[in-house]
Amino acid sequence: MKRREFLKILGTSLTYQVFKANDVSASIKSVVALTEGKDYEKITKDAISVLGGMKKFVKPGNIVVIKPNIGWDRTPEQAANTHPLIVKAIAEECLKAGAKKVKIFDRTCNDPRRCYETSGFNAVFKDMKNVELKHIEFERFKKIKLNGVFLKEWELYDEALSANVFINVPIAKHHGLTSLTLALKNVMGIMGGNRGYIHRNIGTALADINAVVKSHLVVIDATRILLDHGPQGGDLKDVKVLNKVVASTDIVAADAFVTTFFGKKPEDIEITLEAYKRRLGEIKLSNIQVLKS
Amino acid sequence: MRKLNLAKISQFFFLILFLFLFVRTEYRGKDEISLAINSFFRANPLVVISYFLANFSLNWLLLPGIIMIFATLLLGRFFCGWICPLGTTIDLATKYIKKGKPLYFLKTNLKYYLLVIFLFTSLFRVNIVGLFEPIAILVRFLTFSFFPFFGEAIKSTWVWMYKIIGEKREFFSFIYNFLKLNILPFRETFYPLSFFSFFLFVLIIFLERFEKRNWCKNLCPLGTLLSVLSKFSLFRRVPTKLCSDCGECKNICPTSFDREILQNQECILCMDCVFKCKYDRGKFIFSLKNNREVNFSKRKIIFTGLLGGYFLSKMDLFYKDNNRLLRPPGVLDENDFLKKCVRCGECIKICLKNALYPATLEYGLANLYTPVLIPRKGYCEYNCTLCGQVCPTKAIPQLPLEIKKRSIIGIAVFDKNHCLPYAKKVNCMVCEEHCPIHKKAIRFYIQKVTNIEGKEVVLKKPYVVDELCIGCGICEYVCPLTSKPGIEVFKFKEPLRSSSYGYNGDIKIS
Repeated sequence: MKRREFLKILGTSLTYQVFKANDVSASIKSVVALTEGKDYEKITKDAISVLGGMKKFVKPGNIVVIKPNIGWDRTPEQAANTHPLIVKAIAEECLKAGAKKVKIFDRTCNDPRRCYETSGFNAVFKDMKNVELKHIEFERFKKIKLNGVFLKEWELYDEALSANVFINVPIAKHHGLTSLTLALKNVMGIMGGNRGYIHRNIGTALADINAVVKSHLVVIDATRILLDHGPQGGDLKDVKVLNKVVASTDIVAADAFVTTFFGKKPEDIEITLEAYKRRLGEIKLSNIQVLKS
Repeated sequence: MRKLNLAKISQFFFLILFLFLFVRTEYRGKDEISLAINSFFRANPLVVISYFLANFSLNWLLLPGIIMIFATLLLGRFFCGWICPLGTTIDLATKYIKKGKPLYFLKTNLKYYLLVIFLFTSLFRVNIVGLFEPIAILVRFLTFSFFPFFGEAIKSTWVWMYKIIGEKREFFSFIYNFLKLNILPFRETFYPLSFFSFFLFVLIIFLERFEKRNWCKNLCPLGTLLSVLSKFSLFRRVPTKLCSDCGECKNICPTSFDREILQNQECILCMDCVFKCKYDRGKFIFSLKNNREVNFSKRKIIFTGLLGGYFLSKMDLFYKDNNRLLRPPGVLDENDFLKKCVRCGECIKICLKNALYPATLEYGLANLYTPVLIPRKGYCEYNCTLCGQVCPTKAIPQLPLEIKKRSIIGIAVFDKNHCLPYAKKVNCMVCEEHCPIHKKAIRFYIQKVTNIEGKEVVLKKPYVVDELCIGCGICEYVCPLTSKPGIEVFKFKEPLRSSSYGYNGDIKIS
């Protein structure tokens, strides 16, 4: 191939990419499913069926990783961890869709044993077949080239990377540094090493990670949300019960939409904005279609 | 047919019980620990007596030890021959060790001097006898030396399997998980004084080169105390002398037949002489006759003990005010703590986040093996009360969770020369994120500043609310700086944080 020819192809393909990308964001809306109710398992399953059912994401024989937030030694009422029943409902749907195995884990902040116990996860998943609630094993973190803007490489959890389907299930809550912590930040639970390091440029760093680790399905637990003193909370006065679950395949759209539950603008959340700028998803509420069951 | 020796069965039973309790001294999913190895310390006359001398009081936890004192007065040193797990370990090892000649210097009254010096040290309010307490030596050997290496060996095999066969190692995970959940420590932690703990244990085994039960007979402070108590015991072995036609007892008896006459206070009731007697002459009876020899000057021993004890107790006053000597939650008074702590290492073993470590000589002899919290290595988990539950002497009080959450370990202080928002003008706030206090003892104010590159940035600058901080150390633990942390916990002793403290005075600086 001659130099001129090469440049021609390169040029056209690049222009095509730009136009195509603009085209997508202009015409096709991102979809989020919103369900409401006191039966958390039911509304979770409903939200998934609004998106077309778990069969759309999980194929028979797949290995699925569900990554909830189990980071803190707090009870479900305190709204610091994802509600275990929501995760249970998702795991059941995965198995129904033919998943071979469902793995659930989080790199916790408090002692992992206490987190898994207090959060109610141990009790819920004790007897479930083909569902593994696992502790993080540090040898499983692998250095991955990210070639991002802030992070060039980082250690990520191999089981999360090698899974056929990665389902991101955060709880919506307040956070001191980033104002809110939602799905984009939830992937910190599969990061190894000195995670605190990324706090100095957290929006860019999380966009770097989320660009590589794709969440095939995002289910945000907004059954109870933590309004203040997050991400740990501890005081029930800071908890607001909404009984809502939001699901989407667009991680940015899901985060953006849930931001409104807190009376905040999606653009004000640095992490969401940065991810939008990097074309990881939709931030404009006008371009997000909300489907209810 | 060989007859069943009850003493051997008892030894075996207590060794198994000891190991079982040792393994159980670990968080296994329950907030309350019902069984822990502290039973062996609570039933320990040396712990009881030194505690009493140091505090002039007793607590109900030590009741089994008081019962044991009376039992010894009646029956003799049965603890050594029937219960002591270190003694059993020595008995197991000694079979494989060739014997030389007894060491001359151990045949003096050394053990009485040692015991009396330690007891006087307790009387002068520093309770260091635990350093040479046999059960503590064994627990510390297991906790600080054996278990970390054992755990590490299993863990590295597991990691190595992952590197070789990858995901396929999951086939073996049931074995590993079983070990992990039931026996091994959750986290592989290495401790200071690991070598010293190992050395002390090996030294005791090594002493078997010279004679049987050398440590028990000639050094062990617990054994010595029990021998003093059992001088008047009523349960004793007859005949009290070697038989002229046999004398085999001299070879069989591990402790008491150094001479022709049975040293009653050294008899550990191992029953070997009864079971191995060819003529069925040896037996144990209740008798009031006393065949004790007095051959040393009590005055000299008491006087040496007084001087030695005084010297030992005052020697390390220098280290008392060390502002990094952070104690477990609920310990209010350093002097009181040193009076009660047995240096058994149980709190260190059970500490959920491996925040506690044995104090090294850096903190002086008086503090050796006492628990010290090192926040950079681990922090005190907010909802955990385990250390107070396993402490055999309440040196660490057993607190209800709500009180423990308000107990002050220390206070966190920012080092603005290192802390990122101050030193480098970048956001960080990892400490604030982790602070477990509901109202946040670490807060921040927002400031627009020009950063190092000359750009205008919105910066969140953290500060500590002194009235709320309990010094759990999680902030120092998670500080992402890899050199010196930007926040550190220093000793600060106040009884409790108020439960109703409503600090809401956020500072706003624009």
